[in-house]
Amino acid sequence: MHAAPDTYAIDLPALHSELAMPYTLTPGRAAGTFLAEIGKRRIIGSRFASGLTIAPAEDFSPTDGESDFEFVEVPATGVLTAFTQVGGDIIGLIRLDGCDNDFPHHIVEAEFGKLATGVRVEAVWAEGVENSILAITGFRPAPGTPIGKARPAGDTAAPVTVILYTMKLHYEHAYGPYYARLFDEIRTNRRIMGVRTSDGDTALLPPREIDDITHRRTGTWKACKDTGTIRACSIINMEFLGQTRPPPYVYAEIVLDGASTRLIHMITIDSVEAAKTRIKPGTRVRAIWRKGEREGSLRDIERFEVIDG
Amino acid sequence: MGRHVGIVGVGQTHHSRRRTDVSQAGLVREAVDRALADANLSMDDIDTIVVATGPVLFAAVNQPEKWVVDAIGAQLKPVVRVTSGGGAGFAGALAGYYQVAGGFADRTLVVAYDKLSEGALQYSISTLYDPFWGREFAVGIMGFSAAYWRARMDALGHTEKAAAMVAVKNRKNAMANPYAHVKKEVTVAEVLASKPLCWPIKLLDAPPISDGAAAIVLASEDVAAKSTTRPAWIHGIAYYCEADNAAERSMLLSEPLAIAARHVYRAAGITNPRRQFDVVEVQEPYTCFELSYYESLGLCPPGGAAELIASGATQIDGDIPVNPSGGALGANPIGAAGLIRLIEGATQVMGRNESHQIKDAKLALVQSGGGWANLRGCAVLGA
Repeated sequence: MHAAPDTYAIDLPALHSELAMPYTLTPGRAAGTFLAEIGKRRIIGSRFASGLTIAPAEDFSPTDGESDFEFVEVPATGVLTAFTQVGGDIIGLIRLDGCDNDFPHHIVEAEFGKLATGVRVEAVWAEGVENSILAITGFRPAPGTPIGKARPAGDTAAPVTVILYTMKLHYEHAYGPYYARLFDEIRTNRRIMGVRTSDGDTALLPPREIDDITHRRTGTWKACKDTGTIRACSIINMEFLGQTRPPPYVYAEIVLDGASTRLIHMITIDSVEAAKTRIKPGTRVRAIWRKGEREGSLRDIERFEVIDG
Repeated sequence: MGRHVGIVGVGQTHHSRRRTDVSQAGLVREAVDRALADANLSMDDIDTIVVATGPVLFAAVNQPEKWVVDAIGAQLKPVVRVTSGGGAGFAGALAGYYQVAGGFADRTLVVAYDKLSEGALQYSISTLYDPFWGREFAVGIMGFSAAYWRARMDALGHTEKAAAMVAVKNRKNAMANPYAHVKKEVTVAEVLASKPLCWPIKLLDAPPISDGAAAIVLASEDVAAKSTTRPAWIHGIAYYCEADNAAERSMLLSEPLAIAARHVYRAAGITNPRRQFDVVEVQEPYTCFELSYYESLGLCPPGGAAELIASGATQIDGDIPVNPSGGALGANPIGAAGLIRLIEGATQVMGRNESHQIKDAKLALVQSGGGWANLRGCAVLGA
C-alpha cells in the first residue's frame, strides 16, 4: 500500500509581489467595428456565408473558422439562456434575436429568485460610454418584447484598432525553508548565507535543497562574504517600463567570495564611457548595505561598488 | 527511431512593428491559411495542431490557443500549446515532429506567433527572473545577454566590431526578405556609433519588436507527396536545457546548444558542419549571440567567431551563409522566431526560397533557443 509521506502544510508569511502592465490590445476588424458602433447604440454582429449569425461580431466563425461574412445590425432584445449570481451581481448568457450564439453580460433590474431561462430581455444603455461592451449597462427582463431580426448593417464606422488595457496581478510567493533563512539572515545579521554544494566547500546562492550538478542533497549552511567578483555585467543606458532605478547603471552578475553561483545586483556609475573600462568581468566589488530599517530582501543591499586598488 | 518527417508547407505573415488591422487570432489565421495553401491542403486534412507562443504576459491573453482554435477552424481536433520563451516556435515544431515521427499523426500543423506591440516587452521578460533573487534588478533579456557578451569579449574575442559585422550582414540580407520589416543597410561604423542600450549591446545590435505569425505543415513519408514532390526532411532535431544558476554554468559556449548539435549531427551524419551545410539560419536575436552560435554549432572553434565573420564565409555568397533571410534582425515576433528560422531553412532545401535562395542548397542547419539562454536547440533539414 502507498503510504503518504509524513509532511504537512504550514502557513507562513509570503513575499507579496505585484505586476502592473499596460497593454494596447488589438480587437481586429469585426470586434473593432462592434466597439466603434456600440457607443451609437447599434449592436453589430457577423453573418457568415453559411448563414450563422453571431453578435458581438467576430472575424471567424466559431463553428468552422469561416472568414467570409457581412456585418449585420442585431436587435437589442433577446432571450436569457443561463444565469448565475456573483456577489450581488447577476451574470447571464444572452442570445440576441436573430443570433446563433450566447454572450455574457450583467442582468439588471431583476430579482435572482424570479429569473428563469427563456425570459425575454432588452439592453439597458449606459450614458456616454463608447468603444466598450459596457456601453450596455446590462440586460433587463422585458416580457412580451417583440422578437426582432438581424438585418444588413449598411455603412459601419471605422473599426476601433487599439484598446488600452492594464493588467494588475498580485502574487504571494512562499519562501520555503531556504529562502526564509537566507532573508532572515540578511535582515537580522546582514549576512548572506548559502549552502555548500554536495561535494565541496563553495556555497550555492541562493541556497537550495538539491545540488544542480550532482543532483544530491546540498551540504551545510555557509556565510558568504559581502565582497565578490563580477562574472558578467552590462551598462544599462535605456529606460523601460518596470525599471526600478534611473539609467545609467551597471547590471552585474556577481559571485560573492565563498560562493560559486551568481547574485544579480547593480552598481551605480557616473558615466557610460568610464564604466566601460572600470567595470568588467573580474572586477572586485563590495556590497553597500542600505541604512535604516531592513526588510529582508536583496534591496537591503543598496548597491555594489568597485573596490579600488 | 521514429518515422521520417518532412516540412511540406510553410507560411508567414509580413511581420511589422505593429499590426492594428488584425487581432492576435487574425494574425495567426493569415499564417495558417498560407501554410495550408502552400501544402495544397485544407484544415480537414490536418490531424493535430500545435500552437506556440511566448509568455502570455507579452499580450495579456491567457491560454490563447482556445481563441486561436476558433479562428483557424480547428474545432474538435487535438490541440496543444507549447511555450518556451524565444524558442517557443522551435519547441512547437519539435512537439509536432514527435507526433508525426511517433505515428500519432500523419499531418500536424504547427503555428507560432507573438504580437509584441501589445505589451511592455522588457517588463514582461523580467518576470522570468526569480521574484526573490534578481527580478528587482532585471533588465529584461537584454541586460543579461549583454552581460555575457561582455564576458565572451574577454574570453573569446567577440569584439564589438565582430558583432557589428553580423549586424551589417543580417540587415543587408533582410533588404531582400519580403517578410522582414526592418530594411535599412548599415555600416560597421554606424553600428559602433549607435546608442548603447545595454552596453555592449547597442541599438543596431538589437532586433526590432515585431508582430508576426508563422506556420508549417509536418507530414509523414506516406502522405507528404500530396503536398510537394520535394519536402524538407527533418534529419535531426533536438532542444536541450541547462540549469539556470548552477555552479558550472559559464555561458561562454552554449553548452545545451553544443549538446543538441552533437545529438543532431550524429542523427544526420554530419561530421564537418562547416563543409557539409549549404546554409544556416540562427535565431540571433542580438548580434553577439550569432557569434556565440558559430562556435557552439562547430562552424568554427571556440574563439574563432570573430575571424569567421570577418572572413566573409557567412555572407550570402560565402561558403557557409548564415541568415540569408536577415535573421531576427529583420523581424522578431519572438514566439514565432524559431519557426521562421525553420521555414527559412526548409524553403532553402526545397529550392523555392522566394527572394534569397542559396544555389543548390541541399542541407540546412537551423538554430533556435529561449529562456535564460538555457534552452537551446537545432535541426538539420535536407532535400
